[in-house]
Amino acid sequence: MRETWDSFEAGLRGLHTHDADPGRVERIRARCLAALALERQRERARRSRFTAWRIWLEPAVACGLSALYLVAAFSSSLALLR
Amino acid sequence: MEREIELRLVARLKAGEAAAFETAYDAFRPRLYSFLVRMSCRRDVAEDLLEETWLRLVARARDLDDDTCLGAWLFTVARNLFTSWCRHRAVDEERIADLTPAWPAAVAGETPFEAAARTETERRLEVALARLPLHDREVMLLVGVEGFTPSEAAALLGLSPEAVRKRLQRARERLAVAMYEEGAPSQAKAG
Repeated sequence: MRETWDSFEAGLRGLHTHDADPGRVERIRARCLAALALERQRERARRSRFTAWRIWLEPAVACGLSALYLVAAFSSSLALLR
Repeated sequence: MEREIELRLVARLKAGEAAAFETAYDAFRPRLYSFLVRMSCRRDVAEDLLEETWLRLVARARDLDDDTCLGAWLFTVARNLFTSWCRHRAVDEERIADLTPAWPAAVAGETPFEAAARTETERRLEVALARLPLHDREVMLLVGVEGFTPSEAAALLGLSPEAVRKRLQRARERLAVAMYEEGAPSQAKAG
């Protein structure tokens, strides 16, 4: 072999970095930024939907659990009295 | 890219910041493209896979872990996309010639002799790399060109570090042989 591995390694590290066609680079950028904006919009919508559900669901769940607790406590008291 | 800067970039990407995407895109795009073009030996395929890689990042940015190594993540996605592409199409060795327009112009400040020598060495390296079997080429590109450690490359390729070291050793030997073969005919002609 004419060259040593060290010279190959230096050559590999120094290899030119290629880049895509500038037009394509900008098209990819634009497409990704549009997808990112869409994703942000979806996330906002998801969050607002979730917030609406929480407004309705949280009190309902709290009331339901309280009622269950009261019923259980009342039945235990009745069982003790009998 | 420094680790701290990279972690901040990941946090901003997770928050959906467009500026963070632009920073990552400008920092990693040429490296990813170089990796893909050397793996596929085709510019059109490399550009398609590059686009898909970045779209994956945008789609999955919110799910990234806080300590994600962004470079390794992007290279893993690019490599997996390339593997999928290979499953659909066999790589044609004759397309190595397509790399020719990708070779760089001379660097300013070089003498014509230096430029010619550098370009000749680069040409031989590029052709020798393109001749390596895919498994050897990817490990050589990741460790030799991109500067990942064998352990990082192992995580990226889903292999054990020992397997990567063995593959790297084999790739080095094959690259040396390919370099010698690539240089031999022109030197024989010159002699």
